[in-house]
Amino acid sequence: MQSTIQPAFFKQGPKPFSRLLIYASLSLVLLVVDVRWQILQPAREIVSVALYPLQWLATAPVSVAHQVSNYFVTQTALQQENRRLQDERLLANAQLLRMQALQQENIQLRQLLVTRDMQGGRGVLAEVLYNDRDPYTAKLVVDRGEQDHVKAGQVVIDPLGVVGQITRVQPLTAEITLITHKNQPVPVQVVRNGLRAVVYGSGPESPLEVRFMPVNGDIRNDDLLVTSGIDGTYPAGLPVAKVTRVDRNAGSAFARISCEPAADVDKHRFMLILNEKRSIPAKPTPPAAPAKKKGAD
Amino acid sequence: MPVSRQLLKPVSLGFILFTIVVALTTALIPWGPTVRAILPDGVALVLFYWCMYQSRRVGMGWAFWLGIVLDIADGNVFGQHGIAYCLTAWFVLARHRQLGMFPLWQQALYIGPLLFASQLIMLVVRMATGSAFPGWFIFIGALTGAVFWPLLSQLLQMQQRTEKRAEIQS
Repeated sequence: MQSTIQPAFFKQGPKPFSRLLIYASLSLVLLVVDVRWQILQPAREIVSVALYPLQWLATAPVSVAHQVSNYFVTQTALQQENRRLQDERLLANAQLLRMQALQQENIQLRQLLVTRDMQGGRGVLAEVLYNDRDPYTAKLVVDRGEQDHVKAGQVVIDPLGVVGQITRVQPLTAEITLITHKNQPVPVQVVRNGLRAVVYGSGPESPLEVRFMPVNGDIRNDDLLVTSGIDGTYPAGLPVAKVTRVDRNAGSAFARISCEPAADVDKHRFMLILNEKRSIPAKPTPPAAPAKKKGAD
Repeated sequence: MPVSRQLLKPVSLGFILFTIVVALTTALIPWGPTVRAILPDGVALVLFYWCMYQSRRVGMGWAFWLGIVLDIADGNVFGQHGIAYCLTAWFVLARHRQLGMFPLWQQALYIGPLLFASQLIMLVVRMATGSAFPGWFIFIGALTGAVFWPLLSQLLQMQQRTEKRAEIQS
Protein backbone atom coordinates (compact mmCIF):
# COMPACT_ATOMS: atom_id res chain seq x y z
CA MET A 1 0.00 0.00 0.00
CA GLN A 2 2.73 2.37 1.01
CA SER A 3 4.48 2.09 -2.29
CA THR A 4 1.47 3.23 -4.31
CA ILE A 5 1.25 6.62 -2.65
CA GLN A 6 4.93 7.50 -2.50
CA PRO A 7 5.81 10.83 -4.11
CA ALA A 8 6.89 10.88 -7.72
CA PHE A 9 10.41 11.89 -6.71
CA PHE A 10 11.15 8.43 -5.35
CA LYS A 11 9.61 6.52 -8.21
CA GLN A 12 12.39 4.85 -10.15
CA GLY A 13 10.51 2.04 -11.82
CA PRO A 14 11.54 -1.52 -11.08
CA LYS A 15 14.58 -2.05 -8.92
CA PRO A 16 17.94 -2.42 -10.65
CA PHE A 17 18.19 -6.05 -9.63
CA SER A 18 14.85 -7.01 -11.16
CA ARG A 19 15.83 -5.09 -14.29
CA LEU A 20 19.07 -7.04 -14.33
CA LEU A 21 17.12 -10.27 -14.19
CA ILE A 22 14.79 -9.13 -16.97
CA TYR A 23 17.50 -7.99 -19.34
CA ALA A 24 19.95 -10.79 -18.58
CA SER A 25 17.27 -13.41 -19.24
CA LEU A 26 16.24 -11.52 -22.38
CA SER A 27 19.81 -11.67 -23.67
CA LEU A 28 20.07 -15.34 -22.77
CA VAL A 29 16.89 -16.03 -24.72
CA LEU A 30 18.22 -14.06 -27.69
CA LEU A 31 21.49 -15.95 -27.46
CA VAL A 32 19.81 -19.34 -27.53
CA VAL A 33 17.37 -18.31 -30.27
CA ASP A 34 20.19 -16.94 -32.39
CA VAL A 35 22.45 -19.94 -31.97
CA ARG A 36 19.73 -22.56 -32.39
CA TRP A 37 17.40 -21.21 -35.05
CA GLN A 38 19.07 -18.20 -36.68
CA ILE A 39 15.79 -16.39 -37.24
CA LEU A 40 17.02 -12.95 -36.23
CA GLN A 41 18.63 -12.16 -39.57
CA PRO A 42 16.06 -9.44 -40.56
CA ALA A 43 16.73 -7.55 -37.32
CA ARG A 44 20.45 -7.79 -37.98
CA GLU A 45 20.02 -6.37 -41.46
CA ILE A 46 18.00 -3.39 -40.31
CA VAL A 47 20.42 -2.45 -37.57
CA SER A 48 23.45 -3.03 -39.76
CA VAL A 49 22.10 -0.56 -42.33
CA ALA A 50 21.58 1.94 -39.54
CA LEU A 51 25.15 1.32 -38.39
CA TYR A 52 26.62 1.74 -41.86
CA PRO A 53 27.21 5.53 -41.55
CA LEU A 54 29.11 4.96 -38.31
CA GLN A 55 31.17 2.23 -39.91
CA TRP A 56 31.85 4.47 -42.85
CA LEU A 57 32.89 7.25 -40.49
CA ALA A 58 35.19 4.90 -38.62
CA THR A 59 36.86 3.54 -41.74
CA ALA A 60 37.00 6.85 -43.66
CA PRO A 61 40.29 8.12 -42.11
CA VAL A 62 42.01 4.87 -43.00
CA SER A 63 40.88 4.91 -46.62
CA VAL A 64 41.74 8.62 -46.95
CA ALA A 65 45.21 7.86 -45.62
CA HIS A 66 45.51 5.05 -48.17
CA GLN A 67 44.52 7.38 -50.98
CA VAL A 68 46.89 10.11 -49.86
CA SER A 69 49.80 7.71 -49.56
CA ASN A 70 48.92 6.31 -52.99
CA TYR A 71 49.02 9.82 -54.40
CA PHE A 72 52.53 10.50 -53.16
CA VAL A 73 54.15 7.43 -54.61
CA THR A 74 57.51 8.43 -56.00
CA GLN A 75 58.36 8.56 -59.68
CA THR A 76 60.96 5.82 -59.46
CA ALA A 77 58.60 3.52 -57.67
CA LEU A 78 56.03 4.05 -60.39
CA GLN A 79 58.58 3.44 -63.12
CA GLN A 80 59.79 0.30 -61.46
CA GLU A 81 56.28 -0.95 -61.04
CA ASN A 82 55.44 -0.11 -64.62
CA ARG A 83 58.49 -2.03 -65.84
CA ARG A 84 57.62 -5.00 -63.73
CA LEU A 85 54.02 -4.96 -64.87
CA GLN A 86 55.09 -4.84 -68.53
CA ASP A 87 57.29 -7.86 -68.00
CA GLU A 88 54.56 -9.69 -66.21
CA ARG A 89 52.07 -8.82 -68.92
CA LEU A 90 54.30 -10.31 -71.58
CA LEU A 91 54.73 -13.42 -69.56
CA ALA A 92 51.03 -13.61 -68.79
CA ASN A 93 50.12 -13.09 -72.43
CA ALA A 94 52.25 -16.02 -73.44
CA GLN A 95 50.64 -18.13 -70.75
CA LEU A 96 47.20 -16.90 -71.73
CA LEU A 97 47.63 -18.06 -75.29
CA ARG A 98 48.47 -21.52 -74.13
CA MET A 99 45.71 -21.28 -71.58
CA GLN A 100 43.08 -20.49 -74.17
CA ALA A 101 44.11 -23.43 -76.23
CA LEU A 102 44.01 -25.62 -73.16
CA GLN A 103 40.63 -24.27 -72.19
CA GLN A 104 39.18 -25.11 -75.57
CA GLU A 105 40.61 -28.55 -75.36
CA ASN A 106 39.32 -28.85 -71.84
CA ILE A 107 35.80 -27.82 -72.82
CA GLN A 108 35.75 -30.47 -75.51
CA LEU A 109 37.03 -33.08 -73.10
CA ARG A 110 34.47 -32.08 -70.51
CA GLN A 111 31.67 -32.23 -73.02
CA LEU A 112 32.80 -35.73 -73.69
CA LEU A 113 32.84 -36.52 -70.02
CA VAL A 114 29.53 -34.76 -69.31
CA THR A 115 30.62 -33.29 -66.03
CA ARG A 116 28.98 -30.30 -64.55
CA ASP A 117 31.93 -28.93 -62.63
CA MET A 118 34.10 -25.90 -63.26
CA GLN A 119 31.96 -23.86 -65.60
CA GLY A 120 34.44 -20.99 -65.47
CA GLY A 121 31.97 -18.59 -63.94
CA ARG A 122 32.29 -14.94 -63.24
CA GLY A 123 33.08 -13.23 -60.00
CA VAL A 124 32.57 -10.02 -58.11
CA LEU A 125 35.62 -8.08 -57.00
CA ALA A 126 35.26 -7.04 -53.38
CA GLU A 127 37.32 -4.77 -51.22
CA VAL A 128 37.94 -5.67 -47.61
CA LEU A 129 36.37 -3.05 -45.35
CA TYR A 130 37.85 -4.35 -42.14
CA ASN A 131 38.93 -7.35 -40.19
CA ASP A 132 36.16 -8.29 -37.85
CA ARG A 133 36.83 -6.69 -34.47
CA ASP A 134 35.75 -9.81 -32.72
CA PRO A 135 38.87 -11.70 -31.58
CA TYR A 136 36.97 -15.00 -31.48
CA THR A 137 36.12 -15.23 -35.14
CA ALA A 138 38.28 -15.35 -38.23
CA LYS A 139 36.11 -13.14 -40.39
CA LEU A 140 36.46 -10.34 -42.89
CA VAL A 141 33.86 -7.80 -43.89
CA VAL A 142 33.79 -6.74 -47.54
CA ASP A 143 31.97 -3.97 -49.37
CA ARG A 144 29.67 -6.13 -51.45
CA GLY A 145 26.27 -7.22 -50.24
CA GLU A 146 22.79 -8.13 -51.35
CA GLN A 147 22.86 -5.17 -53.74
CA ASP A 148 25.56 -6.89 -55.77
CA HIS A 149 23.74 -10.22 -55.67
CA VAL A 150 26.21 -11.77 -53.28
CA LYS A 151 24.73 -14.81 -51.61
CA ALA A 152 25.70 -16.78 -48.57
CA GLY A 153 27.73 -19.84 -49.48
CA GLN A 154 29.70 -18.28 -52.31
CA VAL A 155 33.43 -18.94 -52.38
CA VAL A 156 35.99 -16.18 -52.01
CA ILE A 157 39.47 -16.45 -53.51
CA ASP A 158 42.55 -14.30 -53.86
CA PRO A 159 45.26 -14.69 -56.51
CA LEU A 160 46.87 -17.53 -54.57
CA GLY A 161 43.96 -19.65 -53.47
CA VAL A 162 40.82 -20.03 -51.41
CA VAL A 163 40.30 -17.41 -48.73
CA GLY A 164 36.96 -18.46 -47.37
CA GLN A 165 33.26 -18.49 -47.86
CA ILE A 166 30.52 -15.86 -47.60
CA THR A 167 28.54 -16.71 -44.52
CA ARG A 168 26.36 -13.71 -43.86
CA VAL A 169 25.06 -11.12 -46.27
CA GLN A 170 23.85 -7.70 -45.24
CA PRO A 171 22.34 -5.25 -47.74
CA LEU A 172 25.62 -3.37 -48.27
CA THR A 173 28.27 -5.64 -46.79
CA ALA A 174 29.03 -9.31 -46.51
CA GLU A 175 31.00 -11.39 -44.05
CA ILE A 176 33.62 -13.87 -45.16
CA THR A 177 34.39 -16.72 -42.84
CA LEU A 178 38.03 -17.54 -43.47
CA ILE A 179 39.21 -21.08 -43.96
CA THR A 180 41.24 -20.60 -40.77
CA HIS A 181 38.02 -20.21 -38.76
CA LYS A 182 37.58 -22.94 -36.20
CA ASN A 183 35.75 -25.93 -37.65
CA GLN A 184 35.39 -24.41 -41.12
CA PRO A 185 35.84 -27.49 -43.32
CA VAL A 186 37.05 -27.49 -46.93
CA PRO A 187 37.03 -30.73 -48.92
CA VAL A 188 40.37 -31.10 -50.63
CA GLN A 189 42.44 -33.41 -52.73
CA VAL A 190 46.17 -33.98 -52.67
CA VAL A 191 47.50 -32.84 -56.05
CA ARG A 192 50.25 -35.46 -56.13
CA ASN A 193 48.05 -38.53 -55.90
CA GLY A 194 44.42 -37.42 -55.84
CA LEU A 195 43.87 -38.54 -52.25
CA ARG A 196 40.71 -36.93 -50.85
CA ALA A 197 40.63 -35.31 -47.43
CA VAL A 198 38.98 -32.52 -45.47
CA VAL A 199 40.90 -29.51 -44.16
CA TYR A 200 39.62 -27.91 -40.98
CA GLY A 201 40.46 -24.48 -39.66
CA SER A 202 41.56 -24.48 -36.04
CA GLY A 203 41.32 -20.97 -34.72
CA PRO A 204 42.86 -17.64 -35.56
CA GLU A 205 46.47 -18.35 -34.71
CA SER A 206 47.01 -22.01 -35.33
CA PRO A 207 47.41 -23.38 -38.86
CA LEU A 208 44.94 -25.52 -40.74
CA GLU A 209 44.79 -29.24 -40.11
CA VAL A 210 43.71 -32.31 -42.00
CA ARG A 211 41.59 -34.48 -39.76
CA PHE A 212 40.59 -38.11 -39.99
CA MET A 213 43.47 -39.14 -42.21
CA PRO A 214 44.60 -42.69 -41.42
CA VAL A 215 48.13 -43.06 -40.13
CA ASN A 216 49.15 -44.83 -43.32
CA GLY A 217 47.58 -42.23 -45.62
CA ASP A 218 49.91 -41.20 -48.41
CA ILE A 219 50.48 -37.56 -47.55
CA ARG A 220 53.84 -35.82 -47.16
CA ASN A 221 55.35 -32.47 -46.35
CA ASP A 222 54.95 -29.83 -49.08
CA ASP A 223 52.01 -31.61 -50.63
CA LEU A 224 49.66 -29.12 -52.25
CA LEU A 225 45.99 -29.49 -51.37
CA VAL A 226 43.38 -28.22 -53.82
CA THR A 227 39.61 -28.20 -53.59
CA SER A 228 38.12 -31.46 -54.74
CA GLY A 229 34.76 -30.04 -55.76
CA ILE A 230 32.77 -32.97 -54.46
CA ASP A 231 30.89 -30.93 -51.88
CA GLY A 232 29.01 -28.88 -54.45
CA THR A 233 30.16 -25.62 -52.86
CA TYR A 234 33.79 -25.14 -53.76
CA PRO A 235 34.67 -25.47 -57.43
CA ALA A 236 37.34 -28.06 -58.07
CA GLY A 237 41.02 -27.26 -58.44
CA LEU A 238 41.49 -24.13 -56.32
CA PRO A 239 44.63 -24.24 -54.15
CA VAL A 240 43.76 -24.38 -50.45
CA ALA A 241 46.79 -25.27 -48.39
CA LYS A 242 50.26 -26.74 -48.26
CA VAL A 243 51.17 -29.49 -45.83
CA THR A 244 53.79 -28.31 -43.35
CA ARG A 245 54.01 -31.16 -40.86
CA VAL A 246 52.88 -34.74 -40.64
CA ASP A 247 52.93 -36.50 -37.27
CA ARG A 248 52.31 -40.19 -37.44
CA ASN A 249 51.74 -41.35 -33.93
CA ALA A 250 51.18 -45.08 -33.69
CA GLY A 251 49.06 -44.52 -30.57
CA SER A 252 46.26 -42.73 -32.36
CA ALA A 253 44.09 -43.84 -35.23
CA PHE A 254 44.66 -40.71 -37.29
CA ALA A 255 47.75 -38.79 -38.33
CA ARG A 256 48.15 -35.22 -37.17
CA ILE A 257 48.66 -33.15 -40.30
CA SER A 258 49.19 -29.40 -40.13
CA CYS A 259 49.07 -27.18 -43.18
CA GLU A 260 49.32 -23.51 -43.94
CA PRO A 261 46.84 -21.72 -46.18
CA ALA A 262 47.92 -21.17 -49.77
CA ALA A 263 46.17 -17.81 -49.94
CA ASP A 264 47.43 -14.80 -48.02
CA VAL A 265 44.35 -15.09 -45.88
CA ASP A 266 44.77 -11.86 -43.96
CA LYS A 267 46.96 -9.70 -46.18
CA HIS A 268 44.90 -8.64 -49.16
CA ARG A 269 42.61 -5.71 -49.71
CA PHE A 270 40.88 -7.11 -52.77
CA MET A 271 39.33 -10.51 -53.24
CA LEU A 272 37.17 -12.22 -55.76
CA ILE A 273 33.77 -13.60 -54.84
CA LEU A 274 33.13 -16.47 -57.23
CA ASN A 275 29.71 -16.56 -58.73
CA GLU A 276 29.52 -19.93 -60.36
CA LYS A 277 26.36 -21.61 -61.39
CA ARG A 278 26.71 -25.22 -60.47
CA SER A 279 23.96 -27.56 -61.36
CA ILE A 280 24.04 -29.95 -58.49
CA PRO A 281 21.45 -32.69 -58.69
CA ALA A 282 19.00 -32.65 -55.82
CA LYS A 283 19.81 -34.94 -52.94
CA PRO A 284 17.81 -38.13 -53.15
CA THR A 285 15.33 -38.62 -50.34
CA PRO A 286 16.80 -41.45 -48.28
CA PRO A 287 14.05 -44.09 -47.90
CA ALA A 288 11.99 -43.75 -51.06
CA ALA A 289 14.78 -42.73 -53.36
CA PRO A 290 14.04 -43.03 -57.06
CA ALA A 291 16.50 -45.12 -58.95
CA LYS A 292 17.98 -42.06 -60.65
CA LYS A 293 21.63 -41.84 -59.68
CA LYS A 294 23.21 -38.64 -60.80
CA GLY A 295 26.65 -37.24 -60.19
CA ALA A 296 27.90 -40.00 -57.99
CA ASP A 297 31.56 -39.37 -57.25
CA MET B 1 39.82 14.97 -5.04
CA PRO B 2 36.42 13.37 -4.49
CA VAL B 3 34.22 14.12 -7.45
CA SER B 4 31.06 14.73 -5.47
CA ARG B 5 32.36 17.91 -3.86
CA GLN B 6 31.77 19.84 -7.01
CA LEU B 7 28.37 21.00 -8.04
CA LEU B 8 27.96 19.84 -11.58
CA LYS B 9 25.69 21.21 -14.25
CA PRO B 10 22.88 18.93 -15.40
CA VAL B 11 23.64 16.79 -18.41
CA SER B 12 21.52 16.93 -21.50
CA LEU B 13 20.33 13.70 -23.06
CA GLY B 14 21.90 14.88 -26.31
CA PHE B 15 25.34 14.91 -24.73
CA ILE B 16 24.91 11.40 -23.37
CA LEU B 17 23.85 10.18 -26.80
CA PHE B 18 26.75 12.03 -28.42
CA THR B 19 29.36 10.41 -26.16
CA ILE B 20 27.85 6.99 -26.79
CA VAL B 21 27.84 7.49 -30.55
CA VAL B 22 31.48 8.60 -30.40
CA ALA B 23 32.34 5.51 -28.34
CA LEU B 24 30.54 3.27 -30.83
CA THR B 25 32.37 4.87 -33.74
CA THR B 26 35.77 4.36 -32.12
CA ALA B 27 34.73 0.78 -31.46
CA LEU B 28 34.01 0.30 -35.16
CA ILE B 29 37.41 1.56 -36.31
CA PRO B 30 39.24 -1.40 -37.84
CA TRP B 31 42.25 -1.48 -35.54
CA GLY B 32 44.84 -4.13 -36.08
CA PRO B 33 44.68 -7.10 -33.72
CA THR B 34 47.42 -5.81 -31.40
CA VAL B 35 45.97 -2.32 -30.98
CA ARG B 36 42.54 -3.83 -30.53
CA ALA B 37 43.83 -6.03 -27.73
CA ILE B 38 45.45 -3.10 -25.93
CA LEU B 39 42.62 -0.61 -26.34
CA PRO B 40 39.95 -0.78 -23.65
CA ASP B 41 36.30 -1.36 -24.41
CA GLY B 42 35.32 2.31 -24.88
CA VAL B 43 31.60 1.63 -25.08
CA ALA B 44 31.69 -0.17 -21.74
CA LEU B 45 33.66 2.66 -20.13
CA VAL B 46 31.23 5.35 -21.31
CA LEU B 47 28.31 3.19 -20.26
CA PHE B 48 29.79 2.71 -16.77
CA TYR B 49 30.40 6.43 -16.50
CA TRP B 50 26.81 7.35 -17.24
CA CYS B 51 25.50 4.53 -15.05
CA MET B 52 27.54 5.98 -12.21
CA TYR B 53 26.60 9.64 -12.60
CA GLN B 54 23.24 9.50 -14.36
CA SER B 55 21.81 6.31 -12.94
CA ARG B 56 18.25 7.63 -13.18
CA ARG B 57 18.56 7.91 -16.94
CA VAL B 58 21.14 5.41 -18.10
CA GLY B 59 20.77 1.91 -16.76
CA MET B 60 20.17 -1.69 -17.66
CA GLY B 61 18.10 -0.87 -20.74
CA TRP B 62 20.91 1.11 -22.29
CA ALA B 63 23.40 -1.63 -21.45
CA PHE B 64 21.22 -4.22 -23.13
CA TRP B 65 20.56 -2.27 -26.32
CA LEU B 66 24.17 -1.13 -26.67
CA GLY B 67 25.17 -4.77 -26.34
CA ILE B 68 22.78 -5.72 -29.13
CA VAL B 69 24.11 -2.97 -31.39
CA LEU B 70 27.70 -4.10 -30.80
CA ASP B 71 26.78 -7.73 -31.42
CA ILE B 72 25.30 -6.78 -34.77
CA ALA B 73 28.24 -4.58 -35.69
CA ASP B 74 30.64 -7.41 -34.94
CA GLY B 75 28.42 -10.11 -36.39
CA ASN B 76 28.52 -12.03 -33.12
CA VAL B 77 25.85 -14.20 -31.64
CA PHE B 78 23.07 -12.05 -30.26
CA GLY B 79 23.29 -11.32 -26.56
CA GLN B 80 27.01 -11.84 -26.05
CA HIS B 81 27.67 -8.19 -25.28
CA GLY B 82 24.15 -7.84 -23.89
CA ILE B 83 24.74 -10.24 -21.01
CA ALA B 84 28.21 -8.91 -20.28
CA TYR B 85 27.12 -5.27 -20.23
CA CYS B 86 23.94 -5.92 -18.24
CA LEU B 87 25.72 -7.82 -15.49
CA THR B 88 28.61 -5.38 -15.18
CA ALA B 89 26.41 -2.29 -15.46
CA TRP B 90 24.36 -3.67 -12.60
CA PHE B 91 27.43 -3.75 -10.39
CA VAL B 92 27.96 -0.06 -11.16
CA LEU B 93 24.28 0.82 -10.65
CA ALA B 94 24.02 -1.04 -7.37
CA ARG B 95 26.92 0.98 -5.92
CA HIS B 96 26.64 4.21 -7.86
CA ARG B 97 26.19 6.49 -4.83
CA GLN B 98 29.22 5.04 -3.11
CA LEU B 99 31.32 5.06 -6.27
CA GLY B 100 30.51 8.70 -6.98
CA MET B 101 32.24 9.67 -3.73
CA PHE B 102 35.40 7.70 -4.36
CA PRO B 103 38.47 9.39 -5.81
CA LEU B 104 39.09 8.51 -9.40
CA TRP B 105 41.87 5.99 -8.77
CA GLN B 106 39.63 4.03 -6.43
CA GLN B 107 36.89 4.07 -9.03
CA ALA B 108 39.44 2.71 -11.47
CA LEU B 109 40.13 -0.16 -9.07
CA TYR B 110 36.42 -1.02 -9.28
CA ILE B 111 36.07 -0.47 -13.02
CA GLY B 112 39.10 -2.58 -14.01
CA PRO B 113 37.74 -5.84 -12.55
CA LEU B 114 34.36 -5.08 -14.09
CA LEU B 115 35.94 -4.80 -17.55
CA PHE B 116 37.77 -8.04 -16.83
CA ALA B 117 34.51 -9.67 -15.81
CA SER B 118 32.79 -8.47 -18.96
CA GLN B 119 35.51 -10.04 -21.11
CA LEU B 120 35.27 -13.21 -19.02
CA ILE B 121 31.50 -13.42 -19.53
CA MET B 122 31.94 -12.97 -23.27
CA LEU B 123 34.65 -15.63 -23.26
CA VAL B 124 32.32 -18.06 -21.49
CA VAL B 125 29.49 -17.28 -23.93
CA ARG B 126 31.73 -17.75 -26.96
CA MET B 127 33.31 -20.95 -25.67
CA ALA B 128 29.82 -22.27 -24.93
CA THR B 129 28.73 -21.54 -28.50
CA GLY B 130 31.75 -23.30 -29.93
CA SER B 131 34.42 -20.69 -30.66
CA ALA B 132 38.13 -21.24 -30.25
CA PHE B 133 39.97 -19.61 -27.35
CA PRO B 134 41.47 -16.44 -28.82
CA GLY B 135 44.34 -16.03 -26.37
CA TRP B 136 44.95 -14.25 -23.09
CA PHE B 137 45.52 -10.91 -24.80
CA ILE B 138 41.79 -10.14 -24.72
CA PHE B 139 42.14 -9.34 -21.03
CA ILE B 140 44.79 -6.64 -21.50
CA GLY B 141 42.00 -4.20 -22.36
CA ALA B 142 40.68 -4.41 -18.80
CA LEU B 143 44.01 -3.16 -17.44
CA THR B 144 44.29 -0.27 -19.86
CA GLY B 145 40.61 0.46 -19.32
CA ALA B 146 41.28 1.01 -15.61
CA VAL B 147 44.16 3.33 -16.53
CA PHE B 148 41.96 5.22 -19.00
CA TRP B 149 39.11 5.61 -16.52
CA PRO B 150 40.36 8.76 -14.70
CA LEU B 151 41.15 10.42 -18.04
CA LEU B 152 37.74 9.59 -19.43
CA SER B 153 35.96 10.80 -16.30
CA GLN B 154 37.80 14.11 -16.40
CA LEU B 155 37.06 14.48 -20.09
CA LEU B 156 33.34 13.80 -19.75
CA GLN B 157 33.03 16.06 -16.69
CA MET B 158 34.65 18.99 -18.44
CA GLN B 159 31.36 19.77 -20.10
CA GLN B 160 29.48 19.66 -16.80
CA ARG B 161 31.75 21.91 -14.76
CA THR B 162 30.44 25.30 -13.77
CA GLU B 163 32.72 28.02 -15.02
CA LYS B 164 32.47 30.40 -12.08
CA ARG B 165 32.94 28.54 -8.84
CA ALA B 166 33.42 31.76 -6.86
CA GLU B 167 29.89 32.87 -7.55
CA ILE B 168 28.43 29.84 -5.89
CA GLN B 169 30.26 30.50 -2.64
CA SER B 170 29.20 34.13 -2.40
